[in-house]
Amino acid sequence: MKNLLRIARWEFNTRIRARSFIFNTFISPLLFTAIITLPIFFFQYQPEVSTKLIGLIDLSGENIEKELQNDLNNAYRLKNGSPEYMILQVSLRGSHIYSAKLKEQTEIKSRRDSISVLYEEVKTQRNQYFRNRSLRNRANLLQSSYDRLQFLREEKELVDIELERFNVVMDSVYKQEAFKMADSLLITDVLNAYIFIPYDFMKTGEMQYHSKNPGDFLETDRFSKILQTIITERRIINDEVERSKIREWLKPIHVKRYQIFPEGQTEWNFYIQFYGPVIGVFLLFMAIFTSGGYLFSSVLLEKSNRVIEVLLSYATSRQIMGGKILGLGGLGLTQVLIWFGLTALIMSTNIIPVQKINYLTVTNGLYFLLYFSLGFLFYGAIFIAVGSLSANEYDAQQINQFLRTVAIFPVLLSLIVLAEPNSPIIKLLSYIPFLTPSFMIMRIPISSYPITTDIYITTAIMIISIVMVTVFAGKIFRVATLMQGKKPSWSEVLYWLKASSN
Amino acid sequence: MDNNLLEIREVTKSFNNSIVVDKLSFMVNGGETFGLLGPNGAGKTTMMRMIMNILRPDSGEILYNDEQRHKIKGLHFGYLPEERGLYPRATVMQMLIYFGTLNNLTRHKAQVEAIRYLDRLGMVDFTNAKINQLSKGMQQKIQLVAAFLHDPAVLILDEPFAGLDPINQVVLREILDEYKKSKKILIVSTHQMEQAEKLCDHICLINQAQVILDGTISSVKKKYRENAYFIESDQPMPILHELKEVDIIEEKNNAYKFSIANKNLSIGELLSKLKGKIKIKKFEIVEPSLHDIFIRLIQEQTAASN
Ligand SMILES: Nc1ncnc2c1ncn2[C@@H]1O[C@H](COP(=O)(O)OP(=O)(O)OP(=O)(O)O)[C@@H](O)[C@H]1O
Ligand SMILES: [Mg+2]
Repeated sequence: MKNLLRIARWEFNTRIRARSFIFNTFISPLLFTAIITLPIFFFQYQPEVSTKLIGLIDLSGENIEKELQNDLNNAYRLKNGSPEYMILQVSLRGSHIYSAKLKEQTEIKSRRDSISVLYEEVKTQRNQYFRNRSLRNRANLLQSSYDRLQFLREEKELVDIELERFNVVMDSVYKQEAFKMADSLLITDVLNAYIFIPYDFMKTGEMQYHSKNPGDFLETDRFSKILQTIITERRIINDEVERSKIREWLKPIHVKRYQIFPEGQTEWNFYIQFYGPVIGVFLLFMAIFTSGGYLFSSVLLEKSNRVIEVLLSYATSRQIMGGKILGLGGLGLTQVLIWFGLTALIMSTNIIPVQKINYLTVTNGLYFLLYFSLGFLFYGAIFIAVGSLSANEYDAQQINQFLRTVAIFPVLLSLIVLAEPNSPIIKLLSYIPFLTPSFMIMRIPISSYPITTDIYITTAIMIISIVMVTVFAGKIFRVATLMQGKKPSWSEVLYWLKASSN
Repeated sequence: MDNNLLEIREVTKSFNNSIVVDKLSFMVNGGETFGLLGPNGAGKTTMMRMIMNILRPDSGEILYNDEQRHKIKGLHFGYLPEERGLYPRATVMQMLIYFGTLNNLTRHKAQVEAIRYLDRLGMVDFTNAKINQLSKGMQQKIQLVAAFLHDPAVLILDEPFAGLDPINQVVLREILDEYKKSKKILIVSTHQMEQAEKLCDHICLINQAQVILDGTISSVKKKYRENAYFIESDQPMPILHELKEVDIIEEKNNAYKFSIANKNLSIGELLSKLKGKIKIKKFEIVEPSLHDIFIRLIQEQTAASN
């Protein structure tokens, strides 16, 4: 027993001063946090270089240009205060085709207007005939003016139909020409984007956003929000409601999300809820694989530099293995406690809004320690077996890499865990010993109710697995560490495992 | 320690179905230096590892003072493995203190003892050097000190002279001689027969997993004596050439090495024939060297097994 402690002490002392330990304790977590949180900052703080020109083709006849500009100005401004967006009606003044059509249209319109004027004249005259009973020839006059009126009405109707038809043609020509114009402006980078509002916009609410980069959700989201407000406002106005009221009704809403816990509700913040547990898993992973990795390399190293032979002559293989696990496990615990200390320090200085991070509790800290210990013992035993079986460092590192990949795999599923931490599939996955620590450390803070049962179940599964892998590793360790040269075959390994406790 | 006895009884060990140690038996008493000799692959290291309880015999017993070896919890054993077993990045002192404390020394005691031995081996200046900065021979000395440090009652040294220069070989022999005087058990394996001859009281020669020779140095030498004599005078001795019973093996500057082939002539008679005629400066019975015996036996056995 004394030798176990002495070996533990040696392992602990030689590693705690190692550069890699310092790095994994202080630098790696910082780097990791920086790497995963940087994209958020990039997304939120886009470089706003200058005002963006947005083209507008509006066929709806609602004249929303001004309103759109106003609302955009109210909502989005650059840091220097100037508006972020400038709306430009796409003008067709330069288009010959459209000007020709326009001329034609004016002609038809004037024709219709002159008919209308004529019609009104005849109408007033007929009224006079009607009132003046003393008029000679009155019946005749009334009859001829009636005929005239009838003819003019028919004429007017025909012109109206012609105009209507022409308008449709005009619209499509307009649309075609406007698109042509806007596209050329977009390609030459005069416009950043343009919006097309079709004539039935009020009814369907459909619009188009054209740009070189339509995947820019930030922009499309902004325009659709603002146009939504405008269209709704117009629809309500048509129903004759007071304008001031509409403004009030349409005041944009801001969603704050809350999560329900038995102790009460807390504001739900994506960054805190998502990045916190992911950083937690990373730290757990870091702790398990820092000290587990040391365990592994220490077995491997002693095998290759033959220190194992000296150790085995003064201590039993059980003492050596136990000492290593204890010493390096203690190292891992130290690392975790250093992090706890740093977290407490950060909490006390209020650098981050800790009062919002409801999962930073002592209980969860203890769970972290629990799953660290279980994970370390589990992976540690496997590392001992792998380390003592490997013939050379290269083989060993490959297996090491593989195990790391397995253990970090739950992070890939973190979004799913976040959406539903207690779904059956996630539950099931967290019962697999290789994945248990990582999954549980994510689930515990995210779950809206305590998953005590799962904690018991996974702990039990882990303990059983640990006992199994440790017995296995113990046998392998005792026999395989003295082997030299070639890698043992599977049949040999099986033979050692079966060999009774000699 | 008046009772100090290590007994190996019919110990057998095999690796992957090939027998490496085959029913080996021998006994080592306190106060005698036991040499485990044999060609490469004979099974010496394997035997030593079993004595150190690093390996367990497949069958047979290893008894220390009538106690089963693997049941002994006490720390009476010191071991110098065949290959260096040191942490390359630790310093000499860290390493020695660690191994010392594993053998129940306090850190202080370990340090004191370490310095004492390092001094004798001319290594005090290196107490704070890193192991990987030392030469192979220096590392060997550190490993030796680690084996001595806790003053074990049984000391097992696997090729202790390997890598040491002649001066350090002498120093080591002195240390071992001192150690022997305290009635402790010392088992040494070596390929240097002159060292074995000077150091060991008792040798055991193993080859192909089996003992082929076991006994004290003097008894072994007696057994393989070749009936050869050495005589030296201040003048030539033609008479030796004239006697047909005498076979001259070597002749150099009035010194002769010869054997008597015929039983008709005893050495006494020969000496009386010479007396008066010449002045005898030196006369002795020639003992075969361990080196010769080793080669002869191994060759004989190899020839027989082929
Ligand atoms: N751990 C092991 N696994 C398998 N075979 C082994 C093992 N250790 C030793 N052997 C084999 O046992 C035989 C005896 O080896 P051992 O090391 O005991 O010889 P030795 O007498 O010390 O030789 P040397 O003089 O070269 O040191 C060799 O054939 C060796 O290959
Ligand atoms: Mg050997």
